[in-house]
Amino acid sequence: MNVLATVPGWVALTIGALVLAGALLVCIGSVGLLRLDSFYRRVHAPTLGTTLGMYLVLVGTIVFFWAGEGRPALHVILIGVCVTVTTPISLMLLARAALERDRREGAAGIPAANPPETGADGGE
Amino acid sequence: MGIAASAAGPEALAWIVRMMPYGWISTAILLLPFTVALATPLIGRGNRRRTTWLMTGTAGVCLVLATLLFPAIADGEVLRQTFAWAPGLGLEFTLRVDGLTWLFLILVSGIGLLVGIYATYYMPPEYPLVRFFSLLLGFMGAMLGIVLSGNVIQLVFFWELTSLFSFLLIGYWHHGKSARDAARTALIVTVTGGLCLLAGVLVLAHITGSYDVDAILAAGGRIRASPLYLPALVLILLGAFTKSAQVPFHFWLPQAMSAPTPVSAYLHSATMVKAGVFLLLRFWPVLAGTEPWFWIVGGVGLATMLVGAWAATFQHDMKAILAYSTISHLGLITMLAGLGSTLGVVAAIFHTVNHATFKASMFMAVGAVDHETGTRDLRRLGGLRHVMPITATLAVIAGAAMAGVPLLNGFLSKEMFFAVALGANHGLVLDTLTVLVAVAAAALGVTYSLRLVGGAFFGPLRHDYPREPHEPPRWMRFPIGILALACLAVGIFPAWVVGPLLRAAALSVLGPQLPPYNLALWHGLTMPMLMSVIAFVAGCVLYVLGRRRIAARDDAPLIGWTSALHGFERVLAFLTTTLPDLQQRVFPSRKLQVQLLLVVLLAGVFGFLAVQPPPAPVAMHGMHVDPAFALLWLLGIACAIGAATQAKFQRMAALILTAGTGLVVCITFVWLSAPDLAVTQLVVESITTVLLLLGLRWLPKRIRELAPLSPVARYHRVRDAVVAIGIGVGLASLAYAVMNHLVADSASRFYLEQALPGGGGRNVVNVILVDFRAMDTLGEITVLSVVALTVFALLWRFRPAAESIGAPRARGSTPGQAEPHTDRDPRAWADQLAIPGFLILLIAPVIALFALHLFLRGHDLPGGGFVAGISVTMTLIVLYMAAGARWVEARLKVAPARWIGAGLLLAIASGLAAVVLGDPFLTAYHGHWTLPVLGDVPYNSALLFDFGVFAVVSGASALMLVVLAHQSLRRVVPAPDAVRDAGEAES
Repeated sequence: MNVLATVPGWVALTIGALVLAGALLVCIGSVGLLRLDSFYRRVHAPTLGTTLGMYLVLVGTIVFFWAGEGRPALHVILIGVCVTVTTPISLMLLARAALERDRREGAAGIPAANPPETGADGGE
Repeated sequence: MGIAASAAGPEALAWIVRMMPYGWISTAILLLPFTVALATPLIGRGNRRRTTWLMTGTAGVCLVLATLLFPAIADGEVLRQTFAWAPGLGLEFTLRVDGLTWLFLILVSGIGLLVGIYATYYMPPEYPLVRFFSLLLGFMGAMLGIVLSGNVIQLVFFWELTSLFSFLLIGYWHHGKSARDAARTALIVTVTGGLCLLAGVLVLAHITGSYDVDAILAAGGRIRASPLYLPALVLILLGAFTKSAQVPFHFWLPQAMSAPTPVSAYLHSATMVKAGVFLLLRFWPVLAGTEPWFWIVGGVGLATMLVGAWAATFQHDMKAILAYSTISHLGLITMLAGLGSTLGVVAAIFHTVNHATFKASMFMAVGAVDHETGTRDLRRLGGLRHVMPITATLAVIAGAAMAGVPLLNGFLSKEMFFAVALGANHGLVLDTLTVLVAVAAAALGVTYSLRLVGGAFFGPLRHDYPREPHEPPRWMRFPIGILALACLAVGIFPAWVVGPLLRAAALSVLGPQLPPYNLALWHGLTMPMLMSVIAFVAGCVLYVLGRRRIAARDDAPLIGWTSALHGFERVLAFLTTTLPDLQQRVFPSRKLQVQLLLVVLLAGVFGFLAVQPPPAPVAMHGMHVDPAFALLWLLGIACAIGAATQAKFQRMAALILTAGTGLVVCITFVWLSAPDLAVTQLVVESITTVLLLLGLRWLPKRIRELAPLSPVARYHRVRDAVVAIGIGVGLASLAYAVMNHLVADSASRFYLEQALPGGGGRNVVNVILVDFRAMDTLGEITVLSVVALTVFALLWRFRPAAESIGAPRARGSTPGQAEPHTDRDPRAWADQLAIPGFLILLIAPVIALFALHLFLRGHDLPGGGFVAGISVTMTLIVLYMAAGARWVEARLKVAPARWIGAGLLLAIASGLAAVVLGDPFLTAYHGHWTLPVLGDVPYNSALLFDFGVFAVVSGASALMLVVLAHQSLRRVVPAPDAVRDAGEAES
């Protein structure tokens, strides 16, 4: 924690605000995951954390290292890219799996599968 | 050779002896066969001619090199060449050449050369020569290793190696059940004997305090006086007797005749079975001369000689006659060594050489008959001298030598044997018995030789052979001719031909006690001569009077009812069936759970005993717990407990919770400044989760309507809970004890200080793994390879249990696998996953790049071969998930077993490179190169080793992954249409 002690106060405040805001978004997403009622709704809630929340924390991190060690920690951006690419994959796979199961079990309110010719529907 | 040496002037000889690099010659003799054996499959594949040249060339070079050694050992000197092996244990790799060794070197390489030529024409063209000659060369190297060993541990190593090669060669025609059984029997008998020998030489080493043969040979008096003499003697003799097929261990040798005839000629008459004799002679100076030696060795030799000769007389298969005859002659040699007289040793050595020549040629002649007529049964053979005159002549010479006819070498050693038997002085009854048995065995030898040669080559020519016989090819007759010529030459001019050789060999065993003996054809009308005549006449009479009756019998009279082989099989059945059954009745352990419980309880008991009395706890001083860290751990603990509670019905959830605990551990490592461990933990955690997910689908479905719990089941649950809690408490207290145990001066400081100057790396963990403790790592990756191959072997033919065939549909199957389900259109399934699949394909190369990054920076920063290997597997997993196993394997050559092999070889090769450069095994080199553009570039040879680790780890994990992934391909047998559709969808 001594890095924060060496930087100017407003920088430390900025870093704190960024990280805390990010953490708050993750927290909201988690609460949503807990409280929303159907799977298809719940699957969206954590994305709050994996997108904006994550970006805020990342920016905080970059500023932290920039101010503390005097070098731009740009490789942190790589984390952002990776998370951004991988999150939708797991999301889509989860949604597909849920849809597949619901269709097999004949759950109510599920749209019928599209005929193969039209290709994948990106609606979910 | 010997002649040349004696003809040259003494000065010239001394000069030659001084100038020759003898130590390196013996090293070359040992290394050459092994090297060529390894190279033969690479060089000789598909080319019989080249393969033959490799075999005969190697044997020839070894023969020439061995010949060169003779002047240096002709007068009883000993040549030694020593390499450091395990100096800390007092072990040195020593090559030791003396007269006896030299004689065996010549026998092994010389007969190896002749057998190589013979086998080229004998082996049917449809069998690959490469494998045969490769094994034969490997055997030759092992046999040369036995006789060259100057260290008893080394001797036992090569001894067991010959047993292994013998196993592989007997089972060469492995489609035949008889060959497989024979190979197994021979392996069990000789390897068990080898283990006894190991125990025996360890006792010897314990008495003398040295593993060195010369040191042991110098401590004869101390050994014979030791109370441990008898156990050592019995153990060593068990080794010698099993190898040399002495009663009651002789049964493996006749069975081993299922091997191709060149193998019988080489291993089972001329060389390998002589290893036991070699051992007796090698340790004769220290072990012989006592009452137990006389009774055991002499008695067993006598019995073997008689039983072998008697059984040989009543066989009908030509090779069986030769096998029993070999047993009989080996018994004769053993008995000569056992009588304890020095002349007996000379006779034993002499007969070893003679027997090797005439028996090998006899085997090859029988092989020629078999090759030409298609049968070896004496009752179906006859008159072959009309169609195979040259072979017949050679067989007559060899057979006459076997029978001990004058002018041939067999006669001379038999005379010497009679002289020894007459000279024995152990009381009237024993002496008479020895002489009588000697004459009887000699007479039977005459009879079976007559049966063998007369039955096959004489009498009227038959026309009902399976094949039309004619003279075998010239080069097939050549080796038989050479050996027959040797029989004649030794028989007519013994002093001139074998005199110097025999003297050198006998001198090396007996030293100054060398008795006077006279190698001459004619000794005058002596008692041995009379015995020879009696034996010869008796043998001929027995043949003339008894041959019809013998031909009508199926087994040998008197001993036909006993069978050592049946006894052996009964023992084997007891050990492999009855005993385990009994054990299972005592410990009800057919169930895996019970076995597991027993193992765990035993481990717990021993673990508990190990910490008695408990070490005094060290006071925990000033422990400061960060609240965030505590929270993290609460989370981890919650995950672990959640996993445990969910494991019964919600396996998927339990698995995810376990992964959560793993992540907490991972963050803990980061927290405690161990980034290396954190990276490794992260990757291992991911791959474990995926592999478990793949395995999850094969667990049975939940049965919802369970019967109420019976009292027994309730008891089981309570018991299991107690065991589980006990294990948890035990592990926790173990961890607590370890963390509070202050190590006064651990090795870690050394590693921390020396990593950069000594190992050239800043990542201490990696430097320890690939440099300081590279030997440990080598062991670990070997174990990993074994485990991966075992998993593969267990799973690749695995069919899931019936109750999991209709596996849970969505749950359990990894959703990403675009495998076709039978009940829906596969194309739709693939289409639905098109976008995530595409994204995954984009990510895969990034992961691969990351793996490369981890690998390259490993020596200085967190990373290294291990974690890089697992990361590569992650790439593969991701590809399999995105596109399915078929798609990936159609585009990528996934050959994990090769990665494993290549990785192990590379790791070993990088270690051996240091040996070549004169440093200990696995030494790493590091330094800096200054390159034109890049400037200062560090290099480190440990990177090669690390690459080996990388290849093994990635190969091992990929192998397990692939075999699990293929389960899903094999799960259902789809209708032909579905297969075609799937193929189209994926192409």
